[in-house]
Amino acid sequence: MAADAGAKKPAEQTLFVRKASGLVKGWSSMDGFRYSFFSVNLFLAIWSFAYATFIPGGSLFWAIVITAIFIVLEIVVYAGLISAMPRAGGDYVWITRIFHSSIGFVIAGVGWWFILWLWTPIYADMGVQTTVKPIFRILGLHGAADWLGTATGIFVASLVVIAIASILVAVGMKTYANFQKWAMWIGLAGVIVCGILLLVTSGDSFKDKFNQAAEKYYGGDAGLLDLTKYEQDEAGLFVYDDEGNMVVVEGETHAGAFEAIEAIGAGTGMPTSTFSGGLSWATWAIIPFMLFWMAWPNWGATLYGEVRGAKDFRKNIYQMLGGLFVPTIIALSFLGLMTWKVGYQAFMGTMAAFWWGISPIGGDYISPTAMISWIVPNAAFQVILVAAISLLLFGWFGTLFLSSTRMIFASAFDRILPERAAKVTSGGVPTVALLLMTIPSIIVAALYAYTPVVEERGVTIVKLFTYDATFGIIIMFLFSGLAFMVMKWRARGIWENSALPKSGVAGIPWMAIIAAVYCAFLVFNIFMFVWDPDGVYYINLWESAVFMGILYLAGVVIWLVAWMVRKKQGMALEAVAKEIPVE
Amino acid sequence: MTTRIFFATDVHGSEVCWRKFINSAKHYEADVLILGGDMTGKAIIPIVKTGPDKWRYHMQDLSHEVTGADDLAKAERLIRDHGYYPVALTPEERDEYTADEDKLEELFHEQMRKTIQDWVEWADMKLEGSGIQCIVCPGNDDRHDIDEILAKSTTMQVGEGNVLDLPEGYQLASSGWTNLTPWDTPREEDEPLLKKRIMDIVAQATVPPERLVFGLHAPPYDTQLDVAPKIDWETLTVQGQDSAHVGSTAVKEVIEEVQPILSLHGHIHESRAAVRIGRTLAINPGSSYVEGMVAGVVVDLDGKKKLKRYRLTSG
Repeated sequence: MAADAGAKKPAEQTLFVRKASGLVKGWSSMDGFRYSFFSVNLFLAIWSFAYATFIPGGSLFWAIVITAIFIVLEIVVYAGLISAMPRAGGDYVWITRIFHSSIGFVIAGVGWWFILWLWTPIYADMGVQTTVKPIFRILGLHGAADWLGTATGIFVASLVVIAIASILVAVGMKTYANFQKWAMWIGLAGVIVCGILLLVTSGDSFKDKFNQAAEKYYGGDAGLLDLTKYEQDEAGLFVYDDEGNMVVVEGETHAGAFEAIEAIGAGTGMPTSTFSGGLSWATWAIIPFMLFWMAWPNWGATLYGEVRGAKDFRKNIYQMLGGLFVPTIIALSFLGLMTWKVGYQAFMGTMAAFWWGISPIGGDYISPTAMISWIVPNAAFQVILVAAISLLLFGWFGTLFLSSTRMIFASAFDRILPERAAKVTSGGVPTVALLLMTIPSIIVAALYAYTPVVEERGVTIVKLFTYDATFGIIIMFLFSGLAFMVMKWRARGIWENSALPKSGVAGIPWMAIIAAVYCAFLVFNIFMFVWDPDGVYYINLWESAVFMGILYLAGVVIWLVAWMVRKKQGMALEAVAKEIPVE
Repeated sequence: MTTRIFFATDVHGSEVCWRKFINSAKHYEADVLILGGDMTGKAIIPIVKTGPDKWRYHMQDLSHEVTGADDLAKAERLIRDHGYYPVALTPEERDEYTADEDKLEELFHEQMRKTIQDWVEWADMKLEGSGIQCIVCPGNDDRHDIDEILAKSTTMQVGEGNVLDLPEGYQLASSGWTNLTPWDTPREEDEPLLKKRIMDIVAQATVPPERLVFGLHAPPYDTQLDVAPKIDWETLTVQGQDSAHVGSTAVKEVIEEVQPILSLHGHIHESRAAVRIGRTLAINPGSSYVEGMVAGVVVDLDGKKKLKRYRLTSG
């Protein structure tokens, strides 16, 4: 038999359907797109741009493009998994069914449950730095802004994130989906306003407005404007003393904040072109940073219900592609506009200033949305614009726990977790699952805020291994990719019943080949995270290893305890996922 | 003594799922098999003759060319495994069925009866002498006339409207009827009528609630077992990511009043879950028939007043 997915559908009747339950059209394309769009979050993008300044020799542009190409493979793999096994629980179910109950629980337990605890303070930190602090500065609430930058401020902000995420899960998908609709359109309207402002503003005008706002909000009585001039060598790089501190030029200061930014761009070695570095090793080294925002168009995979047919396989691909490409194009456009107006080096200076601890605006993170809002010298406009765009971040907070609860439910139904883990109130609130997220999240948020500060980087040790949050999920994606790669052989029944294209070369389906290339890409990134030749990802620290080790060990212990308890009850845990013989 | 039940539901014409269900007793070491309804398929796939020994059909938006009798047999099996009915037709015959709803209805009727007949024969062959008790109960999507075909089985019992004895002094009260749906299916009715129907069945039971098991196709309303994508009843389209409770208030009330030890449900494929309603453990294992997988639940009836030993399965 020959199957031709590309054959034009004839006009004649190809299916007779009778009246029967459940024959409905699926989710709208817009719903799927919106979920992916929020996942490939623009706030994560600009946050990761700042990390990319750790590798100034690489090309940010090409790193984004290369990552996007490989994430297209991820989209094919996940659309395939969703199409073949459309189950709530996503990666947990796929890995469990195709490999083993223990592997599925440990890997997806870390990826969809435990590691999300670390995302809580990361979300809080990003919300504070990109949105709340800049708004407080505009409003002159410096005391509150400064407090938010303290350990207690970040911890309290994390508690707020936990509260928001919990409320969104508690009110259910309907309210959350409605909120997301508004959040996306308002946020995108804000992005368009930013684009127009950048288009109609000259570079010189941008710099003037930047300096005026810096003076207005950080200078004067606020006393936060820092125009310190640091010594630069002939190549423009900062000069360091024997103790590794930057040498200050005594008696001189920069004329304005933007001049300080330009000096930071040059002094920290940022390139003058985003293409500089081309396809060099340094560019490939930036790619693990880009996963922080680009790897997630498949985030809704745990939520998919019953999907029918190849059409849905393609529809899933289109939705996720939209969710990947729209934010990617916006991010690249933003890079292009900033390069056009102020130069790439200066833009990267704004990104580097925070991490180098030399931001002229009181050491604050230079929020892209805030600095663009400064083009219009009106505080009310600035607050509204920054707040509007922040909905792209806040509209995403609910998913912090939503996917986790699906994973917890799926493992409770498999009896790995006790029955009560899947308990919901009469109002539909998954109380125990939420507690399993919130309590550990509070503990991890406390660690993020209060563990000792690493002097070299000026952040706590737990904040330093922020990329563990990406690392744990990428490992899970690798196992799902491997599951898809071997589906034809490990789960023949599911493969044969699926509407996936079965063609290939030498008996190997194209789907398996695509999965293999995707897995190779993930292995490269995992290798980079662990090897870390430039010492920039901070995942191969012993503290990070202990943190991740505890998470995986917790998964192993829970599964083993469940296995022993169920065995005692006469219920083999691993039999849950074994296929029943057909004949 | 413990009695182990394996319950699955909503196989919707999937031959591979039916065969797996029958084989599941051995796989899960179950004493009793219960199928919770919706056995018949939802669609016919015409395999249209395109030339001498050549056919073409479309399934899941893929076009398939078939050459020769062997390939045709393989194609028919593949289609049946997906839960569709394969029917080889000439282009003219296909057009006739397209134009004549009554004729198409009769074709569905014929296919469903034939398939159920084949399934019964296969099950009898597999279960004969096995000592396994197998109970099948049609669901709201199943026409009434399949009951008589099922009743001819030498190894299976028909659950609909009956209270059947299970091992160790347990009894099963079954009904495949549901509350109203947007699809106007064969076994659905208003909640008051449904409640009366179920109560009349339950009245036949002669065991106390802690020995009584319900097998009701419709899940109880406003629980984790009855959440489905919200549907516009006019256009039959899903309303975004919105979801709704679509179970039966009658079923919920009967469970609350009678408090059986176990209540098994189906109907809503997406709502795979287990909940407690008072002393009753209520379970909907969901359905994955589109994947050719049997979603089910293994329950150990151990004589205790609270059921604790169960696990949702996928095989």
